[in-house]
Amino acid sequence: METTPGLWWYIAFGISSLAAIFGFYAIYITVSQGIGTWGVNNSVGWGWEIVNFVWWIGIGHAGTAFSIFLLILRQRWRTSINRAAEVMTVIAVMLAALFPALHMGRVWLAFYIFPYPNTRGPLWVNFNSPLFWDFIAITAYLLISFSFWYLGILPDFATIRDRTKSKIKKAVFGFFGMGWTGSSHHWIRFESLNFILGGIAAVLVVSVHSIVSTDFAVGIEPGWHTTLFPPYFVVGAIFSGFAMVMTLMVIVRKIYKLTDYVTDNHMDAIARILVFISLIMGTAYSTEVFIAWYSGNEYEMFTFFRNRITGDYTIQFWGMIVCNALIPQLFWFRKVRRSWVGLLVVSLFINLGMWFERFNIVVTSLSKDFLPSNWVSYDPTYIEIGVYVGTLGLFAAAILLFFRYIPIMAVSEVKSVANIGNKKED
Amino acid sequence: MNRTFKIGIFDEEGKFISSIKSLQEKEFKIYDVFTPYPVHEVFHLLKRKSRLPTAAYFFGLFAIIAVLAFLYYTSVISWPIVYGGKPFNSFPSFIVVTIVLTIFTVTIASLATFSARSKLIPGRENTIFDHRATDDKFVIVVNTDILDNSKSEQIATLMKEQGAVEVLDKEFENINA
Repeated sequence: METTPGLWWYIAFGISSLAAIFGFYAIYITVSQGIGTWGVNNSVGWGWEIVNFVWWIGIGHAGTAFSIFLLILRQRWRTSINRAAEVMTVIAVMLAALFPALHMGRVWLAFYIFPYPNTRGPLWVNFNSPLFWDFIAITAYLLISFSFWYLGILPDFATIRDRTKSKIKKAVFGFFGMGWTGSSHHWIRFESLNFILGGIAAVLVVSVHSIVSTDFAVGIEPGWHTTLFPPYFVVGAIFSGFAMVMTLMVIVRKIYKLTDYVTDNHMDAIARILVFISLIMGTAYSTEVFIAWYSGNEYEMFTFFRNRITGDYTIQFWGMIVCNALIPQLFWFRKVRRSWVGLLVVSLFINLGMWFERFNIVVTSLSKDFLPSNWVSYDPTYIEIGVYVGTLGLFAAAILLFFRYIPIMAVSEVKSVANIGNKKED
Repeated sequence: MNRTFKIGIFDEEGKFISSIKSLQEKEFKIYDVFTPYPVHEVFHLLKRKSRLPTAAYFFGLFAIIAVLAFLYYTSVISWPIVYGGKPFNSFPSFIVVTIVLTIFTVTIASLATFSARSKLIPGRENTIFDHRATDDKFVIVVNTDILDNSKSEQIATLMKEQGAVEVLDKEFENINA
């Protein structure tokens, strides 16, 4: 980040900004005219917005999962990747939160969801509702992933402050560096706080997506009402998050020539994790189908066998199976794990597959439930597509800005692993 | 009155640690040390301890009680509503809210405590004894206000003997730390 970016940076930033502008237009139409501009209807009340919300939240699990699980497992190689993963988390969770907010319809009344003493009774929110749990879970997750990332980057800000010759940078990083000096008092409290935040964030990683899954699991819709959902969602979230980390790291490594820090072995390790999680996903998919058949419940059987495996939504169902359970099996081959094209292509397929999974869950169950007179099909309007494209653009633009102005890697952590100042012991 | 300091700059962690040890053997009081990454041996040598985990535990305890009390108040006392035939005080479904709000409270309270105790606030400028400590150097700072010249010279020689790349004298009017 002490060099100027190439032409590719401006081109990439331009394209993602255009996508973001399209997104802002779609959000403007949604807010000014209402969610009647979407393709959702009485039967399919949740469409692309909830699909994309769950998709982004899933991606938002990577950073924390990465940092914390690998911290607990004492995997030191994580230090080169965890910062990028944490940045990704913070952006993805913010984008995810956009969708339920827009889905409220009158987004300016969103503050009604806060349980504060009010003049409407006081009418409290429903503390038994997973939708409210979701709201607080995401708020807490955003706060904690942001704090975790910021705490980690604090010493690096101080490094930039003390190294830079530009006055503006010195002032800006001096402000955000909060007076960090690297004294023993600072470091010991830093380590304790890191430990505390890491410990409680680990609980949150598991609970946030479990709560998202209860949004569905407490509903009586066929295909939703299952106890498999919480673990299935958490594993799926980590799957999609790690896949997104891989997509980003493959590109970043290629562009910034970071192969010395993020080595082939690191990418290999992520690929091995992905192939393992892919097997779990495959098991979860087959369990769902098996239980639908084993239950003997005709509505469950209809949803799985006539509306997913066959029927109107076969593309999404088989897309999910192929992208999530079959294609990642290519990672058994060392050649695929060691080639950047292989890693990129497979990780993109996983991202796509996880999107299909959420579509499959949200839309197929709603479109054909117990009452055939309620059956409708669902297609998104260009406004819904626009909001999604906009979030993709915002994500890319934010990542590009981050990588331009803020260290990609956890500098102080890499220092402690890279043996500066340890020449004697080598 | 200006305060004077001897500042030893080290390239290597090992030499830096042995210098701290030899200064302590001669019973010189080390003011503070600055490192680019956390060095655990320093915490033992300088007897640095953090009570943050204990504080966080009590924040959590407080939060659990406060959240459960709040849920009880809203759902049973203030405005009881029957949801799907559940009792007003439907404890099992309060657990999720309690866990998440506890995490939320612990995070905010620990951050605030960390910020206050370490004096790390946006825009704050703490005294930097040597700029290279945040980059790749290890720095030992000894306060020499009450020491006579021969003693401070002894500190300088000690640090040089242990492999300091540089030993500086610096004066500061006010110390922010």
